Amino acid sequence: MSYIAGVDIGNSTTEVCIGEAGRDGHVHFLASASCRTTGTKGTLANVHGIRTALKQAVGSMGRQMGDLSLIRLNEAAPVIGDTAMETLTETVITDSSMIGHNPSTPAGAGQAVGELLLIENLVRAKQGVSYIVAASSAHSYEEVASLLNAVSGRLTITGLILQADEAVLVENRLTKKIPIIDEVARIDKLPDGVMAAIEVALPGQTVRMLSNPYGIATLLKLNAEETRTITPIAKSLIGKRSAVVLKTPGGNVRENVLPAGEIYFHAKEAGRESTHAGFSYSHTKEAGRESAHADISSAPFEDFHSAGSSERVSSVNLDEGADKIMRALEEAGTILDISGQPGTNVGNMLSRIKRGMGELDKTEGADIRITDILAVDTLAPVLVSGALAGETCLEKAVGIAAMVRTQKLPMQEIASQLHEELGTEVTVAGVEAVMAALGALTTPGIMLPLAILDMGGGSTDAALISRDGNVAMTHQAGAGELVSMLIETELGLGDRHIAEQIKKYPLAKVESLYHMRMENGQMSFVEESIDPRFYGRVVLLTEEGLIRIEQDIPMEKIVQVRQEAKRKVFVTNAFRALKRVAPENNLKNISNVVLVGGSAEDFEIPEMLMEAFAPYRIVCGRGNIRGSMGPRNAVATGLVLSYVGEEK
Amino acid sequence: MIIKKPAIFIYTCQADSRILKEVCAGIEEEGVFFEVSEQKEEDVDALAWQAANDSMPGSGIGICRTTAAFQMRGLKKGRNVESYQNPARQQSRKLGADSARAVKKQAFK
Repeated sequence: MSYIAGVDIGNSTTEVCIGEAGRDGHVHFLASASCRTTGTKGTLANVHGIRTALKQAVGSMGRQMGDLSLIRLNEAAPVIGDTAMETLTETVITDSSMIGHNPSTPAGAGQAVGELLLIENLVRAKQGVSYIVAASSAHSYEEVASLLNAVSGRLTITGLILQADEAVLVENRLTKKIPIIDEVARIDKLPDGVMAAIEVALPGQTVRMLSNPYGIATLLKLNAEETRTITPIAKSLIGKRSAVVLKTPGGNVRENVLPAGEIYFHAKEAGRESTHAGFSYSHTKEAGRESAHADISSAPFEDFHSAGSSERVSSVNLDEGADKIMRALEEAGTILDISGQPGTNVGNMLSRIKRGMGELDKTEGADIRITDILAVDTLAPVLVSGALAGETCLEKAVGIAAMVRTQKLPMQEIASQLHEELGTEVTVAGVEAVMAALGALTTPGIMLPLAILDMGGGSTDAALISRDGNVAMTHQAGAGELVSMLIETELGLGDRHIAEQIKKYPLAKVESLYHMRMENGQMSFVEESIDPRFYGRVVLLTEEGLIRIEQDIPMEKIVQVRQEAKRKVFVTNAFRALKRVAPENNLKNISNVVLVGGSAEDFEIPEMLMEAFAPYRIVCGRGNIRGSMGPRNAVATGLVLSYVGEEK
Repeated sequence: MIIKKPAIFIYTCQADSRILKEVCAGIEEEGVFFEVSEQKEEDVDALAWQAANDSMPGSGIGICRTTAAFQMRGLKKGRNVESYQNPARQQSRKLGADSARAVKKQAFK
């Protein structure tokens, strides 16, 4: 009796599967485990992760590492993915011309016009002139209120701007009610003696006068020419609960388009990448025990075309947006390589991932190319430069995932290192996509021809196995990591870890110490009171308990961003990948799609894909490897199965 | 029918007037009602717990001399949501604001 271990090293997880090979060519699966890939896929650093995963699996069988008779590593697809974000626009406020923000508690309501006056200069104020007073946090609410009350009979004070969060406190003590805006951080930047208009929206509403160019013109008495220049200010105040607009000569809000750089596609005439591997496979279930055998007659290798005279270069500017970039990519034909304009962000990113791959593949004259990119439009909240109250503005940005490939990863080195450490025989066997297909075929209810969609962390891979065993496959840039990056930027989290958690877990809002509302509207009550740290917060429901989201973002917004990010990446990529492997590039020629890989475990991605594929009459669903493992472990399972095939 | 005003209760015991003033300011800025009453109890945990239980919206503050604590109904005595010894001005203000935010079902500051 011999124990065979299959090991699959992925971009983000390493998975193992241990099977017992019987003499009759049947396999009994005994254990499986997974852990995080240590280091970049295909490097010696992976050995540590492999050992951890193997130890887990062997331990769960109650055996020792030495009991393993053979370890089979996958010939990992020599592709790695990377992501980058490029902001395309930038908003600049010149001359501190406006404040527009949403303080939690402004006071009063309505609009007012007046000359800006610092509270220290109140004694210098003239009668008959309207003033808007600004007070720094050095003055307490009582002081501000009493100073204003003292002069209220003599001077006309129409509005108040505060640095501290004390608008309500001041208003409650004023004899004459005026609109008050608070939490304006950079009050020192307000120019004295300039005409200003101030507005606080009615409860539940947003500013109306200052978000309308004619409204500003009315309040500040502007002519037609000035009204035209003030339009961007009005536009940027839409949706705010309070606002101040200053009439400064050079004051404006500008949207700068940042130089983003070009992407160059080096392509040859249109064609389809296809590899062939003849293999036969049968799968039976006997007495509740699962057995399978397979036979791989030839391993497929991808064809590398050298950049010859037929190479055609086309280019697209990043600031044209994701749609244009993706169309240019499609029109370019078969991509040989992709590069970026030197000295720009995109150029640096593309050369960085090439260099990263160069460190992995140290063979002389290694042929390293970027063969695919996925561009996604996004909006990122960026702090406006020149802002007085920490305002942010949604700036256009493009997220890019790129896929770099070489001929071969140094898997043999990992194998010999592992052999040295464990003393067990280690072989490198089987191409990843074929192994994944073999593993996926253990899902109950499956028949050939079959398409598998392997959605991992770094790449989305598709393989199509025809009835006669031919395999066509493709690797597409963009998967789970790009989704995390999109969530991180669109929500302005500045933390990749929490973005990944948001991707993985459903949300809830803690409404009292004893109940919370799930994102689907369902209520959940608890016996023991919830920790007050979570009170009123949006939280993630994880296996280990609640995780608090620090930022004050409504739950609905997070749900929307999360789902949109997943759609933008996975639905787009699923169509792209399947089209490339489908006979005649037509999706209608595919009948079954099995989803495997880490992202297939996601709680909503498979449903999104099912919905998207419904019009094509495709049976699509999450794989269930060996009828029990869910969508994970396909490659590792395939590796064990293929061993039996080879032995025969 | 007895209708209670939805107010935050502040139970004090020889409270430091500066602390009490800032706590009240914090609540006022958030626009919530509050009632202050002097008690004999000297344990700040007990003051806060009792205040939370007596308050209609279930939010209470206890201040004994220079110690302040904020409690919500449903939590055990001593398991204060927030408490300070010799709080700074901003801390007292925050304690008051948070007790009001608890009533408004908003996240704490």
